[in-house]
Amino acid sequence: MDKLAQSTSTTTLFNSPFLTAVGAIVWKDLQIEKHTRQTVSVMVMFSLVTVVMFNFALETELDAARNVATGLLWATILLAGTLGLNRSLAIERENQNIDAILIAPIDRRAIYLAKVISVTIFTLLLELVLVFVFIIFFDKPFWRPVVLLVLFLGTVGYVAAGVLITSMTMQTRSKEVLLPILLLPLVLPLILPAATAVGESMVVAPEITIIRSMVSLVAAYDLAILATGLYTYHLVVES
Amino acid sequence: MIQISGLMKQYGFNPVLRGVNLHVPAGAFVTLVGPNGAGKSTLMRIVATLLKPTAGEVKIGGWLMPQFSDRVRRHIGLVSHQTLLYGDLTAAENLLFFAKLYQLDHSRDRVAQALKRVGLAARERDAVRTFSRGMMQRLTIARATLHEPDVLLLDEPYTGLDQDASALLDSLLKGESENGRTILMITHDLVHGLNLCDRVAILSRGKIVQEIANGEVSGSEFLDIYAQQTGRTAGLTKNAHG
Repeated sequence: MDKLAQSTSTTTLFNSPFLTAVGAIVWKDLQIEKHTRQTVSVMVMFSLVTVVMFNFALETELDAARNVATGLLWATILLAGTLGLNRSLAIERENQNIDAILIAPIDRRAIYLAKVISVTIFTLLLELVLVFVFIIFFDKPFWRPVVLLVLFLGTVGYVAAGVLITSMTMQTRSKEVLLPILLLPLVLPLILPAATAVGESMVVAPEITIIRSMVSLVAAYDLAILATGLYTYHLVVES
Repeated sequence: MIQISGLMKQYGFNPVLRGVNLHVPAGAFVTLVGPNGAGKSTLMRIVATLLKPTAGEVKIGGWLMPQFSDRVRRHIGLVSHQTLLYGDLTAAENLLFFAKLYQLDHSRDRVAQALKRVGLAARERDAVRTFSRGMMQRLTIARATLHEPDVLLLDEPYTGLDQDASALLDSLLKGESENGRTILMITHDLVHGLNLCDRVAILSRGKIVQEIANGEVSGSEFLDIYAQQTGRTAGLTKNAHG
């Protein structure tokens, strides 16, 4: 029998080769960012410009600005997030690098999970800056632990959906246009409870039950979209 | 080692491969030539597990694809006209990434050896985007053979290389062939393709129309056969194929 035919390998979701592959791709993305600083810096610059413009537009109505600050925060994250998603997948399009990953003996789900982790890290770095900026500009308690928890959960869900859509549109000609058109409606069920939870947690006497139910909705969305991504990603990249 | 039987691939109503049959024995170096649009790249992507065929069979090492693609991938190395390298990473980082993907032991030592083998040890800390096309292609060979695959697939590896870089690539590929790797190369550059291989197959309009062993015919006879089978003349010199 052929030497090659005798070899066997079984890959399950959380065995060591899977996590090694996830780690390798995340390491590679972070190394590229370390060398180029093109993803986070672009996202931060775009966000700062957006926030400053919002601030000027709402300057005469400071109370109104404070009331919509939560929505502005999420809108800024969503828009800047699409830049991060596009950049992260563009790296794989250059020189058709994705082919080299696809012919490696790794589970396709590892590619998906790794991309979600890398872009989540980049987006969380952006949010660190944004939280400070929003505290300064809008004088609201964005530093509260509940707010930070919702930001984290919301980012995971948003990026999980974004990586899936970006991978689907990667080979299309109008990918940059298609991404926001497909992604923003898909994350609406995530952003509504996330914005409500953040808004509620910053009022003087927050309703814990409202916050709890909204956070549960965000967490449920995260689980649903991550599961969908993990179990459909091989179809996306092999079609 | 590579057994292709009745392979068909259709995009919509457009048939690209119309029943390809090809056998590449273990340790052999087979070159597949053909004009643009003959289906060479599609065939290579199917053998490389990147594309699923519409019908027919591809077996590598006895494993049927795409059913057992996962098991075959560890034993395949791909060199493409695209470098499949990350320009913003250094040469060593690129190889280290692939060593991690393939879960290789002693990855740093392997990377150092691979860079030495292709003459890039002195440039290991330089970003790949600063490399010449020839250097990138040498690094691509190092990447593709880092995990010591049994099968090396070469998709137009001479694209964009000057004469010196092509000669260097020739010697690297000759070395890989002498090491016992099974090599399938597709090219429209007949000069390099024919000089290295044991056997050449002509792909025209989605079918293998003729197979010739190296030395069976002279260079000029091969050109005549090629022109007859494909309906096109090949832009090459008489020194091809002996």
